[in-house]
Amino acid sequence: MRRWGRGGSLRHSRLQFVLAVSAIATAVALPVVLVSVGGGVSAHELANLQNAGYQVVVSAGGVHGIADAHNWTKKILGIAGVTAASPVLSVTIDAFTPSGAYAPVLAEGVIPGEFTPTLGPAEAGLFPSPLPLGDPTDLVHYANGTYAGPATYDVLVSSPYADRYHVVGGQKLVLSPVANRSLGTTYTVTGIFGVPPSVLGPTGAFAVLLPLSDLQTLTGFAGGAATVRDAADTIQIAVAGSIATSPTALNQVRNAVQALFPYYGVSSLTQEAQQLQAAAGVLTGFYLALSSVGITVGLLFLALVLLRRVEADRRSIGIRRAIGIPSRTIAAEILGDGAMLALVGAAAGVVGGYLLVEALAAWATSAVQEAARLAVFDPVLLGELVIAIVGLSLLAGAIATRAALRTEITEALR
Amino acid sequence: MSPMAAPSIELRGVTRIYGAGSADEVRALRGVDLSLSPGEFLSVAGPSGCGKTTLLNLLGLLDSPTSGEVRWNGQAVGQRTDRARARMRLEGVGFIFQRFYLLPTLTARENVELPMRALRVPHGERNRRADRLLDEVGLRGREKAFPHQLSGGEEQRVAVARALANDPGLLLADEPTGELDSGNTQAILALLERVRRDHEASLVVVTHNPEVARRARRHITMRDGGILEDVREA
Repeated sequence: MRRWGRGGSLRHSRLQFVLAVSAIATAVALPVVLVSVGGGVSAHELANLQNAGYQVVVSAGGVHGIADAHNWTKKILGIAGVTAASPVLSVTIDAFTPSGAYAPVLAEGVIPGEFTPTLGPAEAGLFPSPLPLGDPTDLVHYANGTYAGPATYDVLVSSPYADRYHVVGGQKLVLSPVANRSLGTTYTVTGIFGVPPSVLGPTGAFAVLLPLSDLQTLTGFAGGAATVRDAADTIQIAVAGSIATSPTALNQVRNAVQALFPYYGVSSLTQEAQQLQAAAGVLTGFYLALSSVGITVGLLFLALVLLRRVEADRRSIGIRRAIGIPSRTIAAEILGDGAMLALVGAAAGVVGGYLLVEALAAWATSAVQEAARLAVFDPVLLGELVIAIVGLSLLAGAIATRAALRTEITEALR
Repeated sequence: MSPMAAPSIELRGVTRIYGAGSADEVRALRGVDLSLSPGEFLSVAGPSGCGKTTLLNLLGLLDSPTSGEVRWNGQAVGQRTDRARARMRLEGVGFIFQRFYLLPTLTARENVELPMRALRVPHGERNRRADRLLDEVGLRGREKAFPHQLSGGEEQRVAVARALANDPGLLLADEPTGELDSGNTQAILALLERVRRDHEASLVVVTHNPEVARRARRHITMRDGGILEDVREA
């Protein structure tokens, strides 16, 4: 029976009850949304990373910073345990259909015979096998860095792009580094590949895949005054299964690659996963720190509501103390009421946050919608959040309790 | 539950100053000496502001003296901890306030049960005892009424029943009939006398009402924080 005063039964202070619960619920809903969506996106990225077929990646500072990609790839393939190595150059270009429609697309230049083995099983399954992009080594067109060999002018397009622009195999497509068809080169669509669900939405999945040397010559990254020669962004390296499952052996391969590129970054998948997890942890901490402001305000509001009720029930509390009801009983009831309000508010906040994420997943704009769909509601984390709120509510209750018990009984009875 | 025997109470040179050292300092009691034997019926009279209620508060351990000693059965108790004094009040003192001071969110029975609940009296016994006390004060059938549904006389009778809930050895009443009509005054006085006799409790009544004072065997008159007159009837 929670009747520590006139308003001890909560029916007598319904408005205060609703306001306090609302304040706490609002404060709790924010971290629920941030942590669940942020955690979901991080988990999704981590899963992508862990499902990747490559285990070691070479990257350079700046964009398109790896030079001599073809030659380095050959050297990497000579390292024991390496089963595939594919440089990847990613550039945004414009694609023009025969009907004249054009759209910016993400173009990825790869070595056709090496690319697919560096993908995870799920992602590799999205591509035709073998990749129908002509020369699997890409060395014919590359021609020892002269780019004098014959190009295939083959291109694969992503299914969202093909669907949107009704592109089919055998069709011609003009690819241009700028939004000017006359500066473009005509390619033949030799296949269509699928794309995994992306947080960027369907238009973010407009992509084409073509031989590395083709993309380099198309975009000027074969070598020029402003670019490195034979440029790539990364070189993805796959290793033999026995090495992939042994951190020590994988590290030996990583070290061997690093020895080739002392000036480039070389990281193993394990390291990348650890970095991503660390980043996700930092983000979660940041979200919670950000949310702590709202939670503090909510708890201050709770303290005010409890203080207001203690003030209103001053005489009733005085009567109880005069009778001899122990102070700890009165304190327990005030603390209990505070904890109960906090519990109801926190639970409402969790439910509200969940419903908000569901609403975003259903009705928000594409990128937000995709992120909301990846949200993960960790019951342990949410439970800890509720427990923390209830625990902190004891501080608010303690302030009110102190005020209740500091008043002289004889004063309260006047 | 074993009733607490009426204590012998002694006040030695008790002074109570409110707001000591401030501009609003009030000397409510000035070196009061008083002894109260077990089972005694004492009336306290005097003009408003003479210290009657302060005396009652000190006797009932609601307040602590600024100086001097309050002794129960020879033990100094006035400066004990809040917790210890709360326990002594719960077990040994029944208060009847002028303005009843019932808890408005509780029914008549729940108000009477309140002190027993704090003493962890088992539920069944608590109910039986509350019903018996309400029956004794003539409120059978009104157990579930809230204070706002009761008349002034009924409220005061609930307050008396609550004061008797833990069988106290000391009953303290501050103007218990101050807000009652003549009929209710008679009924409450008869009840207090009866319970004092039946429960062998000491009874201290602060009153301006000569009719109430006449029933006591000892009469104290106070003025300016001191005892002006202390008369015992033969």
